[in-house]
Amino acid sequence: MKQSLGKTLLAALAVIAVGCSSSQATPTAAPVTGAPVTQASATTAAASQAAAWQGKDDGTKLTMWTRAATEARARPIVQAYNASHKNQIDLTVVPTDDYQAKVGAAAGAGGLPDLFSADVVFMPNWTSAGLFTDITSRINSLPFLDKIAPAHIKVSTWQGKEYGLPFVIDLSIWMYNKKLFKQAGLDPDKPPTTLGEFEADARAVAKLGGNIHGTFFGGNCGGCEVFTWWPIAWADGQQVMNADGTQSLLNSDENKAIYKVFRDMVNDGTVLMPDSKTETGPTWTGYFLKGNIGIMPWPATLVGVENPSLSLSDVGITPIAGVNGGQSTFVGGDAVGISRDSKVVDQAWNFLAWLEGDDAQINVIAKQGSVVARSDLANNQYTATDPRLVLFNQIAAKGQTPFALKFGQTFNDPNGPWLVLLREAVFGDPSKIDADNNALNASLQP
Amino acid sequence: MRSNGLTRTPYYVLTGGLAILFLFPLLWSAVASVSGQPGTAQASGYGFGNYSTLFNYGAGLGQYILNSTIVSVLTVGLTLSVSLLGGYAFAAFAFPGRDALFLLTLAILMVPYATLLIPLYVVLKDLGLQDSLVGLSLVLALFQLPFATFMMRISFEAVPRELEESALVDGCGSFGVLRRILLPAVRPGIITVGLFAFLAAWNDFIAPLILISDSTKQPLPLAIATLRQQTMGVIDYGATEAGVVVLAAPCLVAFLLLQRHYVRGFMSGAIKG
Amino acid sequence: MATTRTPAKPSLLVSWLGWRRFRQVQGIGYAVPVAVYVVVLFVMPLLLVGRMSLSDWQLLTGDRGVNFPRDFTSFSTNTLFWPAVVFTIEYTILVTILLIGLGLGLALVVQESGRWVGFLRTSFLLPGAIGLATASLLAWGFYSPSIGPISPPLEQLGLINSPIQFLGTSLSSLLSTTLLIVWKYSGFYMLILLVGLQSISPEVLEAAALDGAGRWQIFRYITLPLLRPSLALSLILCITGSLLAFDQFYILTKGGPDNTTITVVQLIYREAFQRTNLGTAAALSIMVLAVLLVLNVFQFRGLRFGRAG
Repeated sequence: MKQSLGKTLLAALAVIAVGCSSSQATPTAAPVTGAPVTQASATTAAASQAAAWQGKDDGTKLTMWTRAATEARARPIVQAYNASHKNQIDLTVVPTDDYQAKVGAAAGAGGLPDLFSADVVFMPNWTSAGLFTDITSRINSLPFLDKIAPAHIKVSTWQGKEYGLPFVIDLSIWMYNKKLFKQAGLDPDKPPTTLGEFEADARAVAKLGGNIHGTFFGGNCGGCEVFTWWPIAWADGQQVMNADGTQSLLNSDENKAIYKVFRDMVNDGTVLMPDSKTETGPTWTGYFLKGNIGIMPWPATLVGVENPSLSLSDVGITPIAGVNGGQSTFVGGDAVGISRDSKVVDQAWNFLAWLEGDDAQINVIAKQGSVVARSDLANNQYTATDPRLVLFNQIAAKGQTPFALKFGQTFNDPNGPWLVLLREAVFGDPSKIDADNNALNASLQP
Repeated sequence: MRSNGLTRTPYYVLTGGLAILFLFPLLWSAVASVSGQPGTAQASGYGFGNYSTLFNYGAGLGQYILNSTIVSVLTVGLTLSVSLLGGYAFAAFAFPGRDALFLLTLAILMVPYATLLIPLYVVLKDLGLQDSLVGLSLVLALFQLPFATFMMRISFEAVPRELEESALVDGCGSFGVLRRILLPAVRPGIITVGLFAFLAAWNDFIAPLILISDSTKQPLPLAIATLRQQTMGVIDYGATEAGVVVLAAPCLVAFLLLQRHYVRGFMSGAIKG
Repeated sequence: MATTRTPAKPSLLVSWLGWRRFRQVQGIGYAVPVAVYVVVLFVMPLLLVGRMSLSDWQLLTGDRGVNFPRDFTSFSTNTLFWPAVVFTIEYTILVTILLIGLGLGLALVVQESGRWVGFLRTSFLLPGAIGLATASLLAWGFYSPSIGPISPPLEQLGLINSPIQFLGTSLSSLLSTTLLIVWKYSGFYMLILLVGLQSISPEVLEAAALDGAGRWQIFRYITLPLLRPSLALSLILCITGSLLAFDQFYILTKGGPDNTTITVVQLIYREAFQRTNLGTAAALSIMVLAVLLVLNVFQFRGLRFGRAG
């Protein structure tokens, strides 16, 4: 079924197009030899530098695992790599809910593949368990390192060593139905800029009655709320956990205020019930596509949105805002690294280096409408077409990726304490939030 | 047995209704797999759009069906050979440790499936059989052993003792007795065991999940599970139903064809009153 | 069972060992494949599970040393433990009563032979042919408020206002899942009980009827007692299977809503793969195994085998 955060349907993040930059960044590291450099040797040195940071492409067979939830975007990337390189990657897709089980079983017996991706929130757990090869120096040798979105690398860092790079990026935004806004007397070009305005707009649309509702959320899906509510707090400059993810702040006044907004909307019928209460995640995004929800959080993508019930021109987007304004997003998706069992690290690295390079980012990732990991490539020929796509990329810079060692078993587990807390806060007795938060703290301890 | 006192028509209506209740979900599944659903490859009307989604998924439906077939055949072969010899041993001979071994075999039923999988993964790796269809078949046959051995034992026990004794007296070795006399007599039991083993192997999902990594070696249930969890937020119901049909069809067909033997297999000897 | 007559031409081996010994050796020979299989692929992994239950054994990082008895005592602080035990027992009782009751009823219906009965028997058995995971997927679609055959048509006919949430509350989840299991397994238990019914000789029943016993009395005082072995076997299988229930809940409810449909095996799975702690998962497995062993030892007494020894 569903699971984790930051799953976009099909990434449809076109990057903003600008004039295409064609040349690769030249290596900036010093030449290898210490002797005075002649013209020729400088070029050779530069060439061998270029080769070194790219790893080896010598026709090796590589194995790779990825989650089913991101398969639609992962597969074209791997296919493009295979088409243009001598190395060949054999990609195995694993059912999302069982990914951790499979990785764990393989880890215990030394059977991990050369490359494997991970939901970013699982990276702290898996890097600290030593599942990945240390690629710090290789990452540092990338010429465009400072242009790569830092969130995924940061969350893949453990005790100063870096283990992963961005693979597929998911962001969360607020998506609203302009047609319903107009009908409700709202200005379709003035989306909400605070949580209060979100609430007011949702209520206005809900007044239209019938089968039209103001908003929707996946109330039986912990990962959904992580993806869509936490940015509200971040937009206000508040936090949901402490920096090393061992203490939960999800019972802070800020967060309680957020829960109250949604509880009020549940109680007065603005929220589509009982579906919101029973939605465990597999179909949470489908509700907006039916065309009778006013505004709700959504993955930052436009792919697959258009359908007989909803035309693309009626779709408005706006960044997730806080109680007092501000903007933020959840920088989710998958990071990818080289496993500690791999015997062909140089060749596996060749894939990673190519992945963050211009060719992959523009001609594969941007082309399929996904968010690019390289901020310098944010404007390219594929994003010129739609200003909404511009927004997706801009918002990525304001987002965060939370860090916690025990993230999965605390926040994603359908039997875990986060789901208990949020359901109590919104459907049950809010005075129990503090007690439920203690369970969260207990679960977060390393 | 005497009739149950009801006149015939209410009897037919009642039992017919019951039968329909049992068959309805299966029929619905088949219909749902070809009917129109917005958001699937078969957006409206009736047709095989969902099946084409299934067909083109991943390494191709044909490959997955082939894998499942290989695994099923291997599992059936392993289960039959081991349980046949074992059932014969338990039924026809007395030797020290017989009851203990039998109970140990039955005890396999009492351990949760998930519990043994990780240690089995380690054992298979030590045997060099990880990520192989052969290794997977060994594991699947293991979980068939309790039922299979039990069935074969009671099937052998149902054979009249005189048949066996006279064959032995005539100079047949025990293996000859087994082959020429007993095997034909326990045929229903064999078919029952084979059918059950096939159904279990064809439908199993968790064992291949843990034990198979190579994407081209995935059996069918695993592929369909991946298909279902593929994209977040929207489920392709149509493809899922098509998957259910493809998974269920061979089982139903095999079952219907072998039904006569299956029922007789249970009847043979079986539990004495 | 050993024959008491030796063959006409005893081989050398037989003469040397004696007939009885020879048969013993032969028996062992035939049992070797089973024995090897069970030892290598069952006993050894089971020993490993035992070892895991005594250690701090993590899924991702492996064996981190002995920590007995903490793996076992950790469940006293696990808030989901006792609810899961209670729920599993509730579920087991509910399903066992329904399955054996319905199985018996169906067996009584399909006792006669004939084309119609043959068709009935097939219909009842057919759901058992598909796998449990497939059946759960089927049920999931069946219960779905958007494509299922129950809720949407009723909505369209205007008979109900909002979709029926079969899996929306804890009670409805329990009943919906029970319905799935009853649908799938009734035929199997019908078959077991049918076999038992068939083995009751008609003369006994006729004699009782001639003596003036009513149908219900015959059923209660003759049929049921004679069915004891079949009932015992059904009980063993049903109780063991229900106590180990996992697939159907994992696919349909994931233990929800609000953790009200978590079974014990689901806890084991969660310990192993969500909380990545193989030690506690192994400890819980051992506890479940112990309970089942005790239960089944009692129940085996009701089951008699044919010729033995």
